Amino acid sequence: MPLIDMPDFASAILAEFATRNTTRVDTPVIQPAEPFLDMAGEDLRRRIFLTENERGESLCLRPEFTIPVCLRHIETATGTPKRYAYLGEVFRQRREGANEFYQAGIEDLGDKDAANADARIVADALACLQTVLPARAFAVTIGDQAVFEAVVAALGLPTGWQRRLVRAFGQTDLLEAMIARLASPQAVTGLSPDVERMLETGDEAGVVAHLTAEMERTGTLTNASRTPAEIVRRLREKRLLAGASLDRAKLDALKEFLSINVSLRYAPGVLADFARSAGLPLDKAIEGFDARVAALRDAGASLADITWRAAFGRPLDYYTGLVFEVTVRGEHAVLAGGGRYDRMLTLLGAKDHIPAVGFSMWLDRIQKAKEAQR
Amino acid sequence: MTITIGLPSKGRMKEDASAVFERAGMKIVAVGNDRSYRGRVEGFDDVEVAFLSASEISREIGNGTVDFGVTGEDLIREGLGDADARVEIAARLGFGHADVVVAVPEIWLDVETMADLGDVAAEFRARHGRRLAIATKYWRLTQQHFSSQHGIQLYRIVESLGATEGAPAAGQADIIVDITSTGSTLVANHLKVLSDGVILRSEACLVRARKPEHEGNVTVAKIVEAVRGAL
Repeated sequence: MPLIDMPDFASAILAEFATRNTTRVDTPVIQPAEPFLDMAGEDLRRRIFLTENERGESLCLRPEFTIPVCLRHIETATGTPKRYAYLGEVFRQRREGANEFYQAGIEDLGDKDAANADARIVADALACLQTVLPARAFAVTIGDQAVFEAVVAALGLPTGWQRRLVRAFGQTDLLEAMIARLASPQAVTGLSPDVERMLETGDEAGVVAHLTAEMERTGTLTNASRTPAEIVRRLREKRLLAGASLDRAKLDALKEFLSINVSLRYAPGVLADFARSAGLPLDKAIEGFDARVAALRDAGASLADITWRAAFGRPLDYYTGLVFEVTVRGEHAVLAGGGRYDRMLTLLGAKDHIPAVGFSMWLDRIQKAKEAQR
Repeated sequence: MTITIGLPSKGRMKEDASAVFERAGMKIVAVGNDRSYRGRVEGFDDVEVAFLSASEISREIGNGTVDFGVTGEDLIREGLGDADARVEIAARLGFGHADVVVAVPEIWLDVETMADLGDVAAEFRARHGRRLAIATKYWRLTQQHFSSQHGIQLYRIVESLGATEGAPAAGQADIIVDITSTGSTLVANHLKVLSDGVILRSEACLVRARKPEHEGNVTVAKIVEAVRGAL
């Protein structure tokens, strides 16, 4: 790419990265598509640029940096902790804005002190934005999946229901539909009387044998998909889920939690009050949340500029804790976003569990904000 | 302005479409011999007919090379992004009924609804080291139904251009999204449709390309009115 394409403030960002104890990395523009589709799902297919090589393998133009940087980390096996920085072009089919634009960011891998690493990454993002938009005030919104998971667990629901709610976290419509279903449970239907009887009497081995016989009779490959044991295990869980419901008070508590939207200055107090008034044991989650708030204060972040929105999350299974977005105060365009993705590296094939947190900046939106400033 | 109607070039769809137009007082005759791919409408000098394969019809309406077409709604919604902005379904013709459905193996006793499937998809990777695989030729409809409507993101599509209903038994995919008219092929392959797994109830439609020059065109209005009147 000719250098003149790059925003003129790119060098200022790189200089800021260099002062923040990071290693600059680059990754090829053409990437295997498989890891992106595998991590983000088929929906991504419509939003990236796909092609094939002559062996029929799917390739794509780099739609983001986190996955390539993590893959590179796993391949080079350089050990942790490690802080990577990148700046380069990404390619996406977008409704608004160009299909190719620059992103820059940091991926912070392997720091076991989550509160500290979380605070540092938010501070990194703010410092970079302040460098390129010196006269602007910023607003940060944070969410925390770990706190939501703790609330759901404390409500005393079966684990299957907990997983459903956690999966819907961050998707308001879906979550509301789930909560509505919790208010009026539905029975398990569609089972034959034989299977029903075996389940009633706890004869799960009988059901497994029945399913195995069915697979043999119908010529279904037994090793290709779900096994009879797996189906019966979930059937048991589903019957348990069907009976589960939440009483009025707990439903209200869940809704109340999701409506929390408060400045981080007051967030620890609000969370503690919520736990007390709802009668939910949230000590461990509160401890983690408060530790992050303290770490943010220590890192010099202005808590008054940070808002905690309890319902804010991202519906992908590798996000685990903090998520955050930064805008110019009073504006909607998200200039930087990030979060904790502790599950990603193992999903991508890392042998050890590697905690990870990172952020990415949208240089095209920053450019616009700069122009608006003039 | 000449108005072009794209009609199916063979089979049941061709016969049924011709019958509807004949009832509408628009008898279609082939130009030249019976196997010609061009036709005209008796009494309509400014209308010509192009006989095309059913899947091409949706494409040709989408890019506006034909003004009207008769084809299945499934092909329109699968073939065209933003279909409602680009084409108008002027009439549902009452033949070519078929549903696009989500079907899973009968032995999945625990899966009756999309919510069940969401549970299975979420833990699939942890249990099997890969995402849930769906065999289909309906990429777009599958993504809309799973991702947008039911919030299920974690699955992979395995493209299947034929004999899709055999894919689960053969181990190529775990479940399918396919078209079915009576459901008998699904039953024969030991698959069941989820209770909220009907993605689209499709039938043959008279579809109009949304073109500015159709505004106020007498022939366009006449064709729509005639066909609607014949149903």
